[in-house]
Amino acid sequence: MSHRLEITLKPDLLDAEGEGIRKKAARYFGIHIDKVRTIHIVTIDAAISREQLEIVRTEIFTNPVTQESSADPLPMDFDWCIWVGFRPGVRDNPGSTAAEAIEDVLGIKFKAQEAVYTSRRYCLTGRDLSESDVKTVAYELLANDIIQQVRIYAQYQWNQKEGTGIIIPKVRLDHIPTVALIHMDSDQELKQVSDQRNLALNLNDIPVIRSYFQNPENMRLRRQIGLNAPTDVELEYISQARSDHCNHNTFRGLFRYTDISTRKTEIINNLFKTYIEKPTLELQKKKDWVVSVLWDNAGVGRFDDNHYYVITGETHNSPSNMEAYGGAITGIVGVYRDPLGTGRGSRLIMGSYGFCTGHREYHGELKPKLHPRRLLDGVIEGVRDGGNKSGIPTTFGQVIFHPGYMGKCLVYVTALGLMPATAAGEPSDIKTTSPGELIVMCGGRVGKDGIHGVTASSETFSEHTPAGHVQIGDPYTQKKMHDFLNEARDEGLIRFITDNGGGGLSSSVGESARYSNGCRVWLEKVPLKYEGLDQWEIWVSESQERMTVSVHPRDIGRFMALSKKHAVESTVIGEFTDSGKLQITYDGKTCAYIDMDFLQSGFPQWEFDCEWLPPEKRGLYEPVISEPKNYNLLLLELMGRPNICSKEWITRQYDHEVQGGSVIKPLAGVDRDINSDAAVIRPVLPSSRGIVFSQAMLPMYSVIDAYHMTTCTIDEAVRRMVAVGADPDHIGGVDNFCWPNIAYDHEHNPDGKFKAAQLVRSCKAMAEMCLSYGIPLMSGKDSMYVDGHLLGPFGETRKISALESLQFSAVGVIDNIEKCVSLDVKFPGDRLYLLGLTRNELGGSEYYERLGYIGIKVPEVDPDMFFPLYHALHKSIRQNLPASVHGIYRGGLAVHLAMKAMAGNIGISIDLDKVPVDREMRNDKKLFSESAGRFLVSVAPPDCGRFERLLEGLPYACIGEVIEEPTLKVTSGKYGAVISLSVSDLKTSWKKPFGGMA
Amino acid sequence: MTTINALVLYGYGLNCDMETAYALELAGAKPQRVHINSVIDESVVLDNFQIMVFVGGFSWGDDHGAGVIQAVRMKTNGGDRIIDFVEKGNLVLGICNGFQTLVNIGLLPGIDHDYRSRSVALTFNDCGNFRDDWVHLNINPKSPCAFTRGMDRIDLPVRHGEGKFIAGKEIYGHLSENHQIVCRYAMPDGTPASGKFPFNPNGSLDDIAGICDSTGRVFGLMPHPEAFNHPTNHPHWTRIKEKIRRGYMPSDESPQTGIRIFQNAVTFFS
Repeated sequence: MSHRLEITLKPDLLDAEGEGIRKKAARYFGIHIDKVRTIHIVTIDAAISREQLEIVRTEIFTNPVTQESSADPLPMDFDWCIWVGFRPGVRDNPGSTAAEAIEDVLGIKFKAQEAVYTSRRYCLTGRDLSESDVKTVAYELLANDIIQQVRIYAQYQWNQKEGTGIIIPKVRLDHIPTVALIHMDSDQELKQVSDQRNLALNLNDIPVIRSYFQNPENMRLRRQIGLNAPTDVELEYISQARSDHCNHNTFRGLFRYTDISTRKTEIINNLFKTYIEKPTLELQKKKDWVVSVLWDNAGVGRFDDNHYYVITGETHNSPSNMEAYGGAITGIVGVYRDPLGTGRGSRLIMGSYGFCTGHREYHGELKPKLHPRRLLDGVIEGVRDGGNKSGIPTTFGQVIFHPGYMGKCLVYVTALGLMPATAAGEPSDIKTTSPGELIVMCGGRVGKDGIHGVTASSETFSEHTPAGHVQIGDPYTQKKMHDFLNEARDEGLIRFITDNGGGGLSSSVGESARYSNGCRVWLEKVPLKYEGLDQWEIWVSESQERMTVSVHPRDIGRFMALSKKHAVESTVIGEFTDSGKLQITYDGKTCAYIDMDFLQSGFPQWEFDCEWLPPEKRGLYEPVISEPKNYNLLLLELMGRPNICSKEWITRQYDHEVQGGSVIKPLAGVDRDINSDAAVIRPVLPSSRGIVFSQAMLPMYSVIDAYHMTTCTIDEAVRRMVAVGADPDHIGGVDNFCWPNIAYDHEHNPDGKFKAAQLVRSCKAMAEMCLSYGIPLMSGKDSMYVDGHLLGPFGETRKISALESLQFSAVGVIDNIEKCVSLDVKFPGDRLYLLGLTRNELGGSEYYERLGYIGIKVPEVDPDMFFPLYHALHKSIRQNLPASVHGIYRGGLAVHLAMKAMAGNIGISIDLDKVPVDREMRNDKKLFSESAGRFLVSVAPPDCGRFERLLEGLPYACIGEVIEEPTLKVTSGKYGAVISLSVSDLKTSWKKPFGGMA
Repeated sequence: MTTINALVLYGYGLNCDMETAYALELAGAKPQRVHINSVIDESVVLDNFQIMVFVGGFSWGDDHGAGVIQAVRMKTNGGDRIIDFVEKGNLVLGICNGFQTLVNIGLLPGIDHDYRSRSVALTFNDCGNFRDDWVHLNINPKSPCAFTRGMDRIDLPVRHGEGKFIAGKEIYGHLSENHQIVCRYAMPDGTPASGKFPFNPNGSLDDIAGICDSTGRVFGLMPHPEAFNHPTNHPHWTRIKEKIRRGYMPSDESPQTGIRIFQNAVTFFS
């Protein structure tokens, strides 16, 4: 017997959710709705009585003060009603917690097939609403047909007695799990299998795979355990392990790099080894705080004698592009499993985000799957719920708009954790698996989720087909698991731990078993969400919120008891061996038997041709612009540009205070509304040490040269940290590359060789910067196919490639947080200093972009000149000399003077003629150049002498002072007043674009 | 001095347990983080404690109204024990999700020892979103609340999506008359926020941020005192530091941290 409860707010209460929908419909589509009321539907597909239903309704689902409810459809007036529910197999988090609560209140246990589903009914009132308006609201605002089903009712179509009926999106597969044998008698045949099964096997890998299975010795061994032809489990395993996602074939590839202008050619064998591993190993020897890098799920650095911090970064672009909320929440919750699976596990202490999308107000003719505005809304909410519900502060974030991200958006997520240096007397950064230990899977259950990623999304849907290839992360389940695993670590119960991400068990068990050199997996033991999964699906499913743990048999009792206390499901699914083989059985019958070393041997390296053409040969030039006359208007406009303006509405939705260690918050200043340079937290509450963190992205510079994009990005990340007080001698880095496809194809990717050259230049620049600034790369990831094909108005599709993008994260340790500095100017009379040289470097700048140009003189980084300045500034901060510090970033001097004044809510007056320059230049260039290596610092007059002495011999000047009158005044000798704008006018322009969004 | 033992709940998606335990420790109590299931199965008994804290977080994901399932769970599996705990003269504090839970259990408003009626609610913010910001609070000096004795104002962070306090006329009248309204959102100058966003961040009736029961021993509030456990938590701390350094402000005028609320709880027993 199935039941349905409808729940709604009492009519006199504001329906904030409905009101939000009403406002968005008006703002996004110009659709006027008078009122939207929301009804929550809980559908209980379980054998409970009417009386039990009544208990559940009153005890759990109805708040007597705010809500009313009924087991029949609620009588609610509407002109149109939209029902939205999940498709079968989509993670329904509220449904699962509802089931837990019902079981508890009734003291019952649901049977395997019983479940609770949630859905919503939106009642729209508005006399002029047309059916097409309602469809727009339903499909462009409320539901995404990839994961949700929709029903629309006009008033006259509604049957008040039946309502929507009882809709149960249960997965029914009616399938008996079967291992299929794969025939690969020719390369051609295997290629066909690869195409049919969406395996995306590399053509060069095919002969290697075939010869492995045809090797007589292998055939003999296989026959001994009852296996002949290769199975689908084996082939799926191999294809997962060989994928670019898991194996990083691109970064480990061979690059033939030719500079077309000089005809010089260079071979780079393995970008990872050359530009990431080598400099990091070199720096590890010099930096004693580097604890563990280059092998685990995340990098480990020393926080203090008793604690290590852990850091890594990820992207989740393709899934977010299809289903923004689901993709983003899965992304952030997923990256949080990396520190949890680093060493023997760490506690999560911080997260950050970077979103790159098309312009929010895009009105062009191309039709992306999701409009950038909707996409951004969904991504923001996904990261919000993922972070907030995990109890992890989101302390930093950036958003970049550019048409190149229309093809595919970028969703960067970064995670930091903290682990005790030792757990149960053993070093907690070290782990291994040994023969005889048990393989335990903890957390969620396995369904068809994420199998073959988004390639499955083109399949047609039936009523009970699971739509789980687009996933929805479940921070609640993961938070329980997180608390459990931290305790298990402290009791010494964890020998090895890693997360189930891309590739699922296939990758987590496969990688763990390398340490012991073998494993046996009993696949039928893996707990499933629903029956009917094939063996290979269980093996490669990417169902979320799972960790794979190695537990010694003597500890398994205690481990399981602890798991039970935390209400976490844990299951022994196999054991580690030293057989040299990965062996999988299902009900005792072997369905995979592969040599552990097979994947490490004999596969050919990927190869790329790279052709570099310097910008001047690509027709880039400096624009011809006369000096603007109205700088006030120009600055106000720049302040409101999408990549400069306030995004407070996003920041405020993210909990950045949880865990109680916030020191430098994402928003600072008198009114707490201006973005800080970096974030500082105090992760060990009794300690005065802090972790400082920042990120930078400057993809616009890639249009000129990805080399300088990279140096400037890294410099900015470092400067951001130094600005709040970080020690330049302790900086760890995380690189996240997002690149368009670099594999040349004369028809499908004609500029692939150029993009490949940009990647080589970027990696080279990163290695050089890391060596000169002393930044070991703690962790990093790459996402190599940031392209999309968008539908145009004539039925054509157009390929859109993203800018070559690098997000660089920097992390450090501050020994006394009370030395930290914020960006807001504080007292009138303080002197304002500009540190660093301003040069004629406006290529790729916000100013040029506003005027419709790119330019060619992109900012360049001169580490030998910059780094001594950073050290000197740091020294002055340690002596408490600066009252405020702020770096000069996107937009240049004028924009960042404005930021400082707005943060302090008082004025700044400067003389532009005093700005230190390398050679004379026009005022617009001084104001809007984006030269790297610069800071604005305010200092109390009595401290100026000491401050200046520390900067002796370095490029700096006192360019003005902080003034009482809340005005930004810029003067220049012969011109007099260049800019004179009140702080409130600046703030109004800066906040206007997204100001109305709570 | 006798040891004051404080029980800090955790598990099932709660997430402020560590810093709440730390705040209690700073205040001189002996905190113990106890899993919700350990209270339910009585492997930890309440008799050994004087203070019980329902902490912030997203219990059971908060998908069916914040704090609702936690309340159901606690009520079904130990509601009487918690009421006994209160009646014995001990203290209960609910912060954010904990406040929502206390209200759904019925421990608040706890009028005249009625600890079972759900008569007030915390519902969705008027702004329609989760919101993280700092707020100014005015504390009602006439309140019997044990946690806020001797306090008049404090700045604290709020971080919630469902913090709008509502109550019917009659209940509101009672709370107001009996000074069970402990703290209200205020403007920076200390005048009432009068519903003005963002100073009143959620649209709460009468700017209500926290209430207590008739005895003053059960207290719930939306802002997070445990997240202001160090001067550097305050959003203006770098400005304050500079003022003090230059002698513009005496160092003892620094904003009071949220630890005071926990100290009051500890000294209640002395």
